[in-house]
Amino acid sequence: MSTATTNQVAKESFGSKDSKLSVLGFFMALPPILVLGTFIGLPIGLAFFLSLGYTGGLNEVISIIGQDVRARDGKLFTLQAYQDVIKDPRFLGDLRTTLLVSLFATILVLFFSIGIGLIQRLRGGKLSSLLTALSLTPLFIPVVISAWALYTFYGGAGLYQTLLKSFGFDVPQITSTVVAIVIGSVWTSLPFAILMITSGFQSIPNALIEAAQDAGAGIVTIIRTVMLPLAFIPIVIVATFTSIGVMGSFTIPFFLGPNQPTMFGVEITNFFTAYNRPQQSIVMAFIVFLAASGIAVMYIWANFRSAKESGRV
Amino acid sequence: MRNKKLGLAAGVVVAIAALIASATQATAATFQVRLYVSADTNVEKLYLNELIPAFEAANRNYKVDLSSFDLHGKNDALTLAKIIAASKTNKDPGVDVIDAGFNTQLGLSGYLTIPSASRVPNLNNVPQSLIDMGKGAVPYRASTVLLAYNPKVVATPPKTLDDLITWIKANPGRFTYNVPSGGGSGYAFAQTVADKFLTDAERKTLVNEVNKPLQAKWKDGFALLRSLNPYTYGKNGTYPSNNAATLALVANGSVDMATVWSDQFASGLKAGTIPSYWKVAQISNPALTGGPSFLGIPKTSRNAIAAQRFINWVLSPAGQNIIVGGSLNGYPVVPITLLSAANQDKFAVGTDVSTLRPGYLSSNATDFKNAWALEVPGK
Repeated sequence: MSTATTNQVAKESFGSKDSKLSVLGFFMALPPILVLGTFIGLPIGLAFFLSLGYTGGLNEVISIIGQDVRARDGKLFTLQAYQDVIKDPRFLGDLRTTLLVSLFATILVLFFSIGIGLIQRLRGGKLSSLLTALSLTPLFIPVVISAWALYTFYGGAGLYQTLLKSFGFDVPQITSTVVAIVIGSVWTSLPFAILMITSGFQSIPNALIEAAQDAGAGIVTIIRTVMLPLAFIPIVIVATFTSIGVMGSFTIPFFLGPNQPTMFGVEITNFFTAYNRPQQSIVMAFIVFLAASGIAVMYIWANFRSAKESGRV
Repeated sequence: MRNKKLGLAAGVVVAIAALIASATQATAATFQVRLYVSADTNVEKLYLNELIPAFEAANRNYKVDLSSFDLHGKNDALTLAKIIAASKTNKDPGVDVIDAGFNTQLGLSGYLTIPSASRVPNLNNVPQSLIDMGKGAVPYRASTVLLAYNPKVVATPPKTLDDLITWIKANPGRFTYNVPSGGGSGYAFAQTVADKFLTDAERKTLVNEVNKPLQAKWKDGFALLRSLNPYTYGKNGTYPSNNAATLALVANGSVDMATVWSDQFASGLKAGTIPSYWKVAQISNPALTGGPSFLGIPKTSRNAIAAQRFINWVLSPAGQNIIVGGSLNGYPVVPITLLSAANQDKFAVGTDVSTLRPGYLSSNATDFKNAWALEVPGK
């Protein structure tokens, strides 16, 4: 009994100090929360209710303009708009394209960035500096410009086809295919990945690598058992950021991809403007959001793990 | 004492300064017209470099403000929402004259001010059939989609749609049209193919009213368009994303034939971006679509009277001459005989813009673009 009371007292005193701090923290965080809530949360909430058939109030005007808007007609909500989207023959193709492009682009980005990171860490020298510098170039070129450059390079009259043709190879056109989207996505995602992963490899102490060498480990074993595990967190961050970024991209698939099936970034824009179907575009946006959330969970888990390892949690 | 005098002097100076300021303001007492344009850059240039300076020179007290320009109409849906919301709540929508594809939609729902004959007397010169199409919006220029071809490869261009389709199938990969949702030139070709399977009355219905059941008749047209997938540029059922992308393929010789806007083609020839030997022709049975562009005055606009003065001026011979002879190379909406001699020469005798084959009503057109994306590409 007495221990319980002391415990309680201790808890309370600790709790009150904690709650004072947390109140202060809450007020300090209030301005950004308010801004986020007003300018992002509210529109998302409105859009969500529109997708469920709430066509009145603040959604009235968009429901008047939009075509094929499904209203809930007195019911609590309707999933008719979701059904429309999923039944649309374009949906499956778009979903497959979006997920496959995100997957392949992420794998390639990881492959290239880990490769360049390893060369820089283990070998060093002029070649690695050159590779790093080259791979960072896309950072300084706007996506629209690089998309257009890739379009002309791989297009019917571009260098890629004309050069190979002059040697007698009749290669198929790459633009307007999914391959072109993957190439473009790798190009735009690579700089960030390289920055992340090289810094991850750089932070591995020399002593660890040398110790492994002294113990007789080969280069492959060192990479597999020492370097990759120690750079695990940056690798997960790169994987999640790249896949989420590619999943929501618009410019690259718009310029380089086929008309149909296309990625959701383009399809959502088409539905919102060209086909004037705002409700269906919102439904697609929520589906992409769900997919991206799945990836985000991985990112949070990785962060949590790293925090745990360093003893912050 | 000294201070008082100084104060008095300062007061007088301030008063005089205020008077001068208000006087200069009074002489420049401007009637402002806020213009909203949703179009390609060639139309932006028409306003900024040609129409607005000429109008302001002819009407000293007027000022036209083109601060809201929306390239390719990307924000059309938002702007439309804003204007309808403003009309519903009886507030100023922030624009006085709209030049956008959704004008007829606004007119159809009664959100436009119908210009009065006394304020816009030049409407008398515009054919009634064009005025009727506007549903309250005023037609001010026209353009049509034409078949551009490379005479070095194609000696005699196809005369009818059937001939064109035969040519496309005989020359795989040498023809293209852009995605209908990306630009009017590709849209016109797709609609023309669909119209081939409709009666005149059915076409007219789709131009004038929302009609979902009739849209089922596009089926045959889409089947024909789908059958062209292996024969158009790329041979894989993909199409250029917009008007400019089509013109780029024309410019670099990737295709020998394509559907293009009359005005963009003429401007391209003038600017040298399209090879000078390229030519355009119209086909028949049915013809590629074209028609007027409209100016609309939102119902709750603050400056509706000034807006009507601007529209009246655009319809005057001076305004129409700029549209025809300037960088846009458009079609006039007034009889060609009212134009300057040099501009009259640009048109064949008897050219009548009121006979251009119109595109569908905007909501039918939207459905058509959506259906095309569903039925044709990548199949």
